[in-house]
Amino acid sequence: MAIEKIRIPDFGEVQQITVVEVFIAPGDKVEVEASLLALESEKAVMDIPSPFAGVIKEVLVKEEDVVASGDVIALIETKGTEKSKPAAEQDKVENEQPAKTAEPAVPESAKETQAGQVFHATPSVRALARQQKIDLAAVTGTGPHGRILKEDVLAARQQPAADMVEQAPLEDFSKYGEIEEMVLGRIQKISGPQLHKSWITIPHVTHFDEADIVELERFRKKLNGERQEDDPSYSLLVFVIKAVAAALKTFPLFNSSLVPGGEKVIVKKYYHLGIAVDTPKGLVVPVIKNVDRKGCREIALELRRLSAGAREGKLAIPDIQGAGFTISSLGGIGGTGFTPIVNSPQVAILGLSRSYMKPVWDGERFVPRLTLPFSVSYDHRVVDGAEAARFCKTLRRNIEDLKRTLV
Amino acid sequence: MSDTDTKKYDVLVLGGGPGGYTAAFRAADLGLSVCLVEQQQRLGGVCLNVGCIPSKTLLHAATVIEEAAEIADFGVDYAAPKIDLSRLLAKKDAVIEQLTSGLDGLCKSRKITRIAGKGVFTDAARLEVAGPDGTQEVRFTNAIIATGSHPFALPNLPEDPRIWDSTAALELRTVPKRFLIIGGGIIGLEMAQIYSALGSEITIVEMLEQIIPPADKDLVQPLFLKLKKKYTILTNTKVTKISPAKSGIEVSLEGKNVPGNAEFDAVLVAVGRKPNSSGMGFDEIGLAVSERGFLQVNERQETSLPHFYAIGDVVGEPMLAHKATHEGKVAAEVIAGHQSAFNPMTIPSVAYTKPEVAWMGLTEKEAKARQLDFDKGKFPWGASGRALSAGAASGVTKALFDRKTGRLIGAGICGLNAGELIHEAVLALEMGANAEDISLTVHAHPTLAETFAFAAEIVDGSITDVLPPKKR
Repeated sequence: MAIEKIRIPDFGEVQQITVVEVFIAPGDKVEVEASLLALESEKAVMDIPSPFAGVIKEVLVKEEDVVASGDVIALIETKGTEKSKPAAEQDKVENEQPAKTAEPAVPESAKETQAGQVFHATPSVRALARQQKIDLAAVTGTGPHGRILKEDVLAARQQPAADMVEQAPLEDFSKYGEIEEMVLGRIQKISGPQLHKSWITIPHVTHFDEADIVELERFRKKLNGERQEDDPSYSLLVFVIKAVAAALKTFPLFNSSLVPGGEKVIVKKYYHLGIAVDTPKGLVVPVIKNVDRKGCREIALELRRLSAGAREGKLAIPDIQGAGFTISSLGGIGGTGFTPIVNSPQVAILGLSRSYMKPVWDGERFVPRLTLPFSVSYDHRVVDGAEAARFCKTLRRNIEDLKRTLV
Repeated sequence: MSDTDTKKYDVLVLGGGPGGYTAAFRAADLGLSVCLVEQQQRLGGVCLNVGCIPSKTLLHAATVIEEAAEIADFGVDYAAPKIDLSRLLAKKDAVIEQLTSGLDGLCKSRKITRIAGKGVFTDAARLEVAGPDGTQEVRFTNAIIATGSHPFALPNLPEDPRIWDSTAALELRTVPKRFLIIGGGIIGLEMAQIYSALGSEITIVEMLEQIIPPADKDLVQPLFLKLKKKYTILTNTKVTKISPAKSGIEVSLEGKNVPGNAEFDAVLVAVGRKPNSSGMGFDEIGLAVSERGFLQVNERQETSLPHFYAIGDVVGEPMLAHKATHEGKVAAEVIAGHQSAFNPMTIPSVAYTKPEVAWMGLTEKEAKARQLDFDKGKFPWGASGRALSAGAASGVTKALFDRKTGRLIGAGICGLNAGELIHEAVLALEMGANAEDISLTVHAHPTLAETFAFAAEIVDGSITDVLPPKKR
C-alpha cells in the first residue's frame, strides 16, 4: 500500500488549463485509465486518465481551477506497486512536501524586503514603469541575469494599451431598442485575446487568387467512386493540404516564425498544418503533423478523426500543438473571398472559399471551369508582396496539377 | 499682508529643513506657486543648523587633532594643540551662514514666498502663521508637511544646564572634564569624538548589547576596539537615576561592571528623536497621526487626507536628511501630476566616527532573520596597502550576496572614508549587480574603494590578496 500523487501531465507550451469537471471524490475506487477530470485548454477539452488503480484519498483541485503541468490533482492509495505508466510523473508523498505549501514561502519573504527589491530593475527603469503604469511583476527581463530593461518595459506597454481600447465603455444601446446580453463561449473568450494580439501586432496583407479545379474534381470523384467500406471520403481539403505542403517546401518563409526583435526568423523543417474546424462551441484548430510525408488517404483519415474530436471536444493536447501554417476553409458554407487573421507566431494562413463555375475564355468561346477562390494572409514583416504572389501562383499550380507535389 | 490674503498657493511647504526646502524648490521648478513656512529665521532645519553640518564641522577639527597625535607613529611630532573654542564656534557658524544664505538666494531666485513663523493648520486649505511680524493666514491647494523631529528626552529628566541634548552639545559652551553620553548610537558617538578630541573623558552608556545597534556587530568591531581604549563604554547598561548635585551630575547605572555611583560634569542625552507632529493642527484637520507621532504616508508621500503630503523625519525612520530630500522631490512631483514614487531599494546609513561606519541594504543579522540564503565576503583592511599606508588598517569591508539570484543584498564598511565608499555598494544594489559585476569592474590600486571589489572577489572565489575561501 502506498499513497501516490496524480499530477497534471506535461502539456508543453499550453499555459492556461482550466478544470471543467471533476469525476472523482475521496473514497472512490478507480481503475487504471479511468477518467479523473476533464480539462480545457486554449483549444481542446480532454480527460485525464488515472495512471494508477486504487482508492482516491484526497482531491486537490476543483472545477474552474486554473492548473499547470505538474500540479497535483489527487492523492490515491494504491495496492502494491501498480505503477502502470512509468513515464507518468509520479512520486512518493512521504519524502516530499506538496509543491503548493513549499513554494509560496519564497515570494512571501521577498515581499517583506523593501519596496522595489522584488524586481531586478534599475531605478530609472522602475520610474519608467511607474510612468507607463506597467506592473514590473508582469514584465520579463531580457537584460543580464534577467534584468528588466527599459526596452522590456516599453514592449510590455503595448499589450495593455490594446486592452484599453477594448475596455472603452459602450453606450447604452437599450435606448434605441430591445437588447440582450449573451455570454461568449469559452473558446471565443480564450481565442479572442490571441486573435486580437495577432491582429494588432502583425502587419497583415491578404493576397487573393483562384485555382482551376476541374482536373482535381475529376480525380477526387474518381477516388470516391472507387472507395471501399473502410476508406475515407476525400474532400477537396485533403488535396489542398498536399498542395500547401509542397508550396511550403518551395517557400520556406511561409513556414517560419519571426523572432522577437525582428532580426531573424526560425524556419521549420517540419510541415504541420493547423486546420480550422467549425464546432458548435466555436473555432477549433487541430493539427495534422508531417503532411509532406503522408498520403492523401492517411490525411483524409486523420482529418476525419480530428474533425470528429474537435466537434466532440475530445482532442488531446498534442492534437492542437505545433502548427506552422494554418488553413481555414469556408468552402462548405459560402463566400467569394475573405481575409483570415494570421495565427501568431505563424506568418501566414490560407483561406479557402466556395468553389464556383467560372466562364473562362479559351480563345474562341467561354467555357465553364470549376474554380476555387483562395486567399493568403501573411505577415508583411517576413514576406513581401511579390513573394506572396509567387507563393500563391505555386500553390495554384499545385492544386491545378497535383502531380507537381511529387516533384 | 494684503498679498497673502488674496493669493492661494499651489503648494504650501511647512518646515524648511532639507526635505522641506527641496520640496519647495522642486515644486517651484515644476511651475507651481510655492509658499515656504519655517519657524526659524534660517532655512536648513536641524541638519544645517543644529545637526549634520555643524557636527561635521566640529568633527573635522576633532579628526585633525586626533590625526596630528597619531602621526607620531610615522615619526612626525606635533606639539599639543591650543584650542580656541570661540574661533572654532565662529568657524562652525560661518559654514552654517554660508550654506543657509546660499539657500536664501536659491529660494529668492525661484520666487518662493518665505514666511518665518510657526504654522498651524486651521482647515484643509488654510494655515495660520504666527511670526515676529504678527499673525497671517496662508491659503493653499496642496500642503507638504516637513516638520521634522526633535531630540527625545528621557522621562523624569531634571532640568539642569549641565544636562544636554544634541543641540546644546553643538553649542560647545564648555568642554566638560567628565562627560557622560547616554546612547551609543550615531549622534552619541559623534559627540563623543568631538568632546574627546577637545579633552573630555568620555563615558558612553548604551542600553543594547553593542554601540550603533542597527549595524552588524562585526562591522562595528574595529571602531569599538579603538574607542574602548579611549572611552569607558558600558553596553547592556541602563541609566536608573540622574540627580544634579553641586559638584556634578550624579548618575545611577544598572548593568554589568558598572561603577556604583558615578558623577559627571555634563550629561548628553542622545537616545533618539521624536517626530514634530503636535501643536500644528494635524488632529484638528483630520490627519492620522500614529501612536509614536508619525504621519502615515504611501510611496507617493500622500497622507490620509487628500492634497496633504508629508516627508522626512515626521513620516518615520530612518530620520535622515537624504531620505527627506528624495521624499520632498517625490511629493512635489506628485502634486505636479508626475507618476513619481519613493521606492529605493535602500537608504544608506553613515556614522561619522573615526573610523567611519557605513552600511546599506540588508545587514547580516537582518538577512539571517529573513532566513535568506546568502554568501558573505569580508575583507580586512589589514591586507589593503592603501589602508596600511594611511594608518587606517583597522577597518573591514563586507558584502552579502543572495545565493539564489547572485545579487548584492547588503554591504557594510568600517574604516577611513567609509561614508564615501559605501555609495558604490548602493549603486551596485540599485543596479542589481552580482559579485562578478563588482569584481570584474576594474578598481584603481591602491585605493580604499578596491576593498569592496575584494569583498566581492572573496564571494566569487577570484580573490588573490587574501587566501580564497574554501570551496563549498
